[in-house]
Amino acid sequence: MKVLVPVKRVIDYNVKVRVKADGSGVDLANVKMSMNPFDEIAVEQAIRLKEAGQAEEIIAVSIGVKQNQETLRTALAMGADRAILIVASEDVHHDVEPLTVAKLLKAVVDEEAPGLVLCGKQAIDNDMNATGQMLAALLGWSQGTFASGLEIDGDNANVTREVDGGLQTIKVKMPAVVTVDLRLNEPRYASLPNIMKAKKKQLDEKTPEDYGVDASPRLEIVKTSEPEARKAGVIVKSVDELVEKLNEAGVI
Amino acid sequence: MLNPVDDALIEKLRAALPDGSLRPPEPRDLEEPRGKWHGQAGIVVSPRNTEQVAEVIRQAGQARVGVVPISGGTGLVAGQVATQGPPPILLSLDRMNAVRGVWPSENALVAEAGTILADVQLAADGENRLFPLSLASEGTCRIGGNLSTNAGGVQVLRYGNARDLCLGLEAVLPNGDVWHGLRRLRKDNTGYDLRNLLIGAEGTLGVITAASLRLFPRPTRVGTAMMVVPDPAAALDLLALAGAHLGPGVTAFELIGGQGLHFLADTGLPHRAPFADIPDWSVLIDVSAYGADDPNAALEALFAAALTAELSSDGIIAQSDGQAAGLWNIRENIPQANRLIGPIASHDIALPLSEIPGFIADMPDRLARLGDFRINCFGHLGDGNLHFNVFPVSGRSRADYPGASEAVTRMIHDRTHELGGSFSAEHGVGRAKVGDLQRYADPARLEAMRAVKAALDPAGIMNPGAVLG
Ligand SMILES: Cc1cc2nc3c(=O)[nH]c(=O)nc-3n(C[C@H](O)[C@H](O)[C@H](O)COP(=O)(O)OP(=O)(O)OC[C@H]3O[C@@H](n4cnc5c(N)ncnc54)[C@H](O)[C@@H]3O)c2cc1C
Repeated sequence: MKVLVPVKRVIDYNVKVRVKADGSGVDLANVKMSMNPFDEIAVEQAIRLKEAGQAEEIIAVSIGVKQNQETLRTALAMGADRAILIVASEDVHHDVEPLTVAKLLKAVVDEEAPGLVLCGKQAIDNDMNATGQMLAALLGWSQGTFASGLEIDGDNANVTREVDGGLQTIKVKMPAVVTVDLRLNEPRYASLPNIMKAKKKQLDEKTPEDYGVDASPRLEIVKTSEPEARKAGVIVKSVDELVEKLNEAGVI
Repeated sequence: MLNPVDDALIEKLRAALPDGSLRPPEPRDLEEPRGKWHGQAGIVVSPRNTEQVAEVIRQAGQARVGVVPISGGTGLVAGQVATQGPPPILLSLDRMNAVRGVWPSENALVAEAGTILADVQLAADGENRLFPLSLASEGTCRIGGNLSTNAGGVQVLRYGNARDLCLGLEAVLPNGDVWHGLRRLRKDNTGYDLRNLLIGAEGTLGVITAASLRLFPRPTRVGTAMMVVPDPAAALDLLALAGAHLGPGVTAFELIGGQGLHFLADTGLPHRAPFADIPDWSVLIDVSAYGADDPNAALEALFAAALTAELSSDGIIAQSDGQAAGLWNIRENIPQANRLIGPIASHDIALPLSEIPGFIADMPDRLARLGDFRINCFGHLGDGNLHFNVFPVSGRSRADYPGASEAVTRMIHDRTHELGGSFSAEHGVGRAKVGDLQRYADPARLEAMRAVKAALDPAGIMNPGAVLG
């Protein structure tokens, strides 16, 4: 079985996000970018499936700007076998929309015929939480979302999901799209020798036109603004004062 | 002789300072991080501004009562805890924590002494600047304490220690005079440098109330790698290779001994093991890049060269800042693991770089003459600074080694001195190393230090018992 893992290049989750002065989006010029953490978990899971003898080949796909190569190299260094880069934008500030990504992934799936697509449950930059679901719909495949556990059992995948009040395990028929959650695994570090080897692994570069997909945007960003700054706290000297302040604030 | 704090002094201080400035000491005021020394104090005073600090010092001078300044209380040599003598005033800077100004175009920032180091870093970051002083205690220690101990940390290699990051000071001298020296000048050759005298004085020559600090352009990206090296000599060669490849881009270069990683595993402190098998030696490297430069590409090239030169066989490059934080977390949790294991003796030594491999290689044999130990050696290799800590063998505890602590320290410090090193690289003298200073310091320098102390603080009220004893 082949496993396809889409990986997105996003602003690093440790970076302090700054909004561009004109409100058109987040400033990404010379900002540290990394693999979407959920996608890292998907890559790790694919490698574990391969190590367990349940997958033969892992293909990482990234859609975005040319620099997404770096993200694919990380996936290759972790253990993916080959990579496909679809350059759908020239500007890092242009976020390729989930539906476009899903259509492109469908085209890749049609070509590669994987038994499983493992995606992150959402990208931490736009928090859309849509691509995996859209892909499953376009393919007409089963889907298991927010996986915190995954077991391949013959033609089925048992997906454990974190739901309100506990865990739910569902059985989905393969081929399937599974989107992964934070607690599925702890991704490995990319070792330096593997980073060097990854440079020699196959990385094909494509465009949306190659797949006959129109990548022009359908959504318009009206405004981006920073969250309201947290107000400074006050230190109270006694419980009485605390109660008084809470009363004043009208919260009790 | 000094007097203890008494009711009359407390009354005078109460009258001179706003309400809420005085309180009796609580146990936490009198402890230090390692729990080895316990302090005493007659009263804790928390002034809100420099004039109030001056008032406290003048009152203490008149009453001939000692004053121990305290900032974050994270000092590791008991400079902030008065272990002996009449109970002094504990002068806390915690309420003086304003950043008075940031001048991005000058790369300068002025902060009050009680500003927490992490807040100084944040204030600089807010202006897209870097304040590079960085230590594991940065969430607690305060800039006044950092300067008073001339703190080092993980970026000294590139940016220097606290002394190098200070442009000017405001301080209250032992006679109660306020020195207004908050200049933001890089050049100011106008006589004796009072600033450099107060930095590293550990509160014995006055109270630092505010500092003018140097900022740097903020790197756009920092790459972090951990590389396995065969031995400390190779680590040094790798440092030189990194310098040749990256020049000032190398901002941290930490040596990590395998024992520290074993301690982390043994104590169960949360961390993500970087390698399947614990390497005997590894180094943690930070590379800072500006503009569109890619630090990870630089680290890969360095590794390729290191591989060819047989200086490194394996390693990791953090693929995200989160992974970088994970690697640093390993380094920064080693002291905590040490504490849980319980050292017989801990040392913070500096050596000429070229003496380090020999020192690390032959010290175990020397120490074996005193008993069976485990050694955890790690530290800021780029600065020649080793934390060389000695532990009981597995299954035994400190208590099984009566009297060993002094003998071990003596042996290590003697050897360090012989090799032209220092018995205190970055932590200071405090009260813990007064004896070492007397033993190892150059006599002419000691005499000059005593003369300075006597001239500025003839009554000896400032941090009595620290540094010169
Ligand atoms: C987990 C941990 C990691 C550490 N890592 C490092 C490291 O990497 N590098 C390093 O150098 N140190 C390190 N230290 C030691 C310590 O954090 C530093 O020495 C720090 O600079 C002390 O600052 P502080 O505010 O806590 O000072 P305190 O402990 O409050 O005081 C230290 C000394 O300075 C004097 N003093 C404090 N404030 C003033 C003032 N305003 N005017 C005059 N004198 C004053 C005190 O009397 C005392 O002698 C570490 C400590 C811990 C607990």
